[in-house]
Amino acid sequence: MRHRSLLLLLVLALLLAVTPPAHAQPKDTLTVALVSHAPTLDPHMHFERVGILVNINMFDSLLHRNTKLEYEPSLATSWKPINDTTWEFKLRKGVKFHNGDPLTAEDVKFSIERVTEPGKEKKKSPQYGNIRAIKDVRIVDADTIQIVTDKPFPLLLERLVFFPIVPKKHVEKVGDDAFGTTAPVGTGPWKFVEWKRDQYIRLEAFDGHWRGKPAFKHLVIRAIPEVATQIAEMKTGGVDLIRNVSADLVPEMKSSAQTYVSSSPILRVHYLELDMRSAPFDKKLVRQAANYAIDKQAIIQKLMGGLGQQVATVVQPKAFGFDGEVKPYAYDPKKAKELLAQAGYAGGVDITAHSAFVEFRPVFEAVTQMLTEVGLRTNARMWDPGPAWNKFFQTEGKATNAAYGSWGNYSVFDADAVLHPLFHTEPGGWIGKHYTRVEGLDKLIDEARSTVDQPRRKRTYSQIQYLIREEAPAIFLFTQYDTLAINKRVEYAARGDEWLWLFDAKPKR
Amino acid sequence: MASFLVRRLLRLVVVCAGVSLVTFAILHASGDPVALIMPEAPEADRAVLRQSLGLHDPLPVQFGRFVGRALTGNFGNSFFHRAPAFGLVMERMPTTLMLTVLSMGLALVVALPVGVYSAVKRGRAVDQVATGTVFLGQSMPVFWTGIMLILLFSVQWRLLPVSGWDSWAAAILPTLTLGAFTAPLLLRIVRSSMLEVIALDYVRTARAKGLSEWLVICRHALKNAALPLVTVTGLQFGLLLGGAVITETVFAIPGVGRLIVGAIRQLDFPVVQAGVFMLAMVVVSVNFAVDVLYVYLNPRIRLR
Repeated sequence: MRHRSLLLLLVLALLLAVTPPAHAQPKDTLTVALVSHAPTLDPHMHFERVGILVNINMFDSLLHRNTKLEYEPSLATSWKPINDTTWEFKLRKGVKFHNGDPLTAEDVKFSIERVTEPGKEKKKSPQYGNIRAIKDVRIVDADTIQIVTDKPFPLLLERLVFFPIVPKKHVEKVGDDAFGTTAPVGTGPWKFVEWKRDQYIRLEAFDGHWRGKPAFKHLVIRAIPEVATQIAEMKTGGVDLIRNVSADLVPEMKSSAQTYVSSSPILRVHYLELDMRSAPFDKKLVRQAANYAIDKQAIIQKLMGGLGQQVATVVQPKAFGFDGEVKPYAYDPKKAKELLAQAGYAGGVDITAHSAFVEFRPVFEAVTQMLTEVGLRTNARMWDPGPAWNKFFQTEGKATNAAYGSWGNYSVFDADAVLHPLFHTEPGGWIGKHYTRVEGLDKLIDEARSTVDQPRRKRTYSQIQYLIREEAPAIFLFTQYDTLAINKRVEYAARGDEWLWLFDAKPKR
Repeated sequence: MASFLVRRLLRLVVVCAGVSLVTFAILHASGDPVALIMPEAPEADRAVLRQSLGLHDPLPVQFGRFVGRALTGNFGNSFFHRAPAFGLVMERMPTTLMLTVLSMGLALVVALPVGVYSAVKRGRAVDQVATGTVFLGQSMPVFWTGIMLILLFSVQWRLLPVSGWDSWAAAILPTLTLGAFTAPLLLRIVRSSMLEVIALDYVRTARAKGLSEWLVICRHALKNAALPLVTVTGLQFGLLLGGAVITETVFAIPGVGRLIVGAIRQLDFPVVQAGVFMLAMVVVSVNFAVDVLYVYLNPRIRLR
């Protein structure tokens, strides 16, 4: 009995000790909620979107991308190619790290070689694949470096937009572990204060930042996994900004007195991959019929809240190499039926389609319904996203006859970033490994990635887009928008690269 | 007594072995973490990673290694966090235990007096309200209760913070959520066992002695009625830890449950294994404690 009274006392004391919490946040604090934190704050030792979004506000890279998605000087003030495999960068003078050390060419070399680890068999950074082409970093003089690649590497500048520069001396002094947890130091607008795992990361404006001081003195990045909780935090002003507001929640965030919504088309394309290994999608006419069967506009307007743009292939309008001349498949159910009949399926055919994209279930169901209407009678199977689905779809390649998918290019604005990882068959791309069999496609993709001659690359990508539109290895749907909900006291706009570049955030008067 | 303890401890070992085998088997049947960690990488790179994670060995070898290490508290390094899985779990364990103990405390504080009272005043208004609430409480999923409490107390009335774990105020809603999940069952147990006990002869004898009703109920009846409650409280602890997984996600609490949910999504085997194992350890220990307590409370068991 004594224990129970103790417990009773404890709970009572707890209830009494509570002071009413202040909901309004201090004016100079900006609070952002992400679904989780990355495992480390070390910008080179993870490959997590949620980590990158935090890192970019603490670290600078050589190049920056502005809101129009053009390259802008950051730690490099200018850059030019010396030959097919060498680029030269002039470094900004007078840049200071958060600990007061000046930025040097040594730091740049150190940062890159931290990831490439020349001479080492096993690389510890998961970002190694991104810049494996870099063979050498030469220090020409105090403010000039050259980056040498083993073969022409057209994506170099794109990769350097997120490649944070870290201080050599400091990292060597504190060690990798401390650098990623308790002592991260960069040159960015905010410096590190405190990190409570799965709770919050606190940052404070860095007085010596070369761009000047950011508008908000304190930046807090909280980890809130549940969407409903994020929305409640937005409504009460506990959080100022959340990402990935889905179409069904947009009206609620728009009508709330405290919040507004900002949207931008992003590099994420949705499609239904078709299994070309077996009937009926081994026939081109059937794959084309499937593309004609879908009313993409209706889906965008009715199910995506108008936030989407129809695409002809998987190449995004914003990516380098996009060819607007390649026209999307029109909605033409009559033509779809004709093509099916030509392919020998006049009476229709039974197929199965899979999806693990819970958030886009209505889209998936609409697509399968439209397929059924033209005679591709679809059995729609929803999966739990996770291990079983990955094994089924990716490891074993059993997602016959079709599977819903989306691809985000890893935020790289280049056609290669969707074509190679999706369709290339060797090494196996996301779809190409098992499902896509388009003759000549591998060769064209390889050709376009092995030159820095941009006009030539553009021509090759045009060719590829005509080819995949014709061959239709997937039902091409739309590009997605990124939607932020923002507290009205903060002025900020969603970016096409899904970055949260919070230096641009300003208090609204 | 000693042989009783030994037998119970032995059972504890068997349960732990079972738990680790089952988690291990399910995890390894569920997919290739390497494909998830490096989706775009060429097979050669994946092989290197697989080698370094020890995933290339045959399953029995992997399991043997896992058990061997687990005995020394080493569950391997998290694939995702790149830190010892055991440390990650233990770092979050106090939070989860705090949440469950608070909720259990709240549930008992509500269930005990209300249960006793509604048994004594059977059929009266209090009893009917209590029974109705039990029905309601048991029908509400934890997830939904949590969201509703947030909408009411945080969004509507602005009394409490929506989420987090950095103040006592932030702990109230999660405790309520989880407590509301447990209290109904406990209340029902208290009520029904109390009803059973107050009909017994010895209670009538106590009354006949002229003891006050208060003394009869609390001193004599409750002591016997509490026995099933102790058992159920022990069992409920396991369920409560399960509920904590969801509560931690809804309220963004940095506990073991949320860690495990994230780890399952990332196929982070070591963390799932360490997390499930340690939670199982907690449940088993609590039940062991309940068994011991039972012996103390009920002398009849000592003989068996």
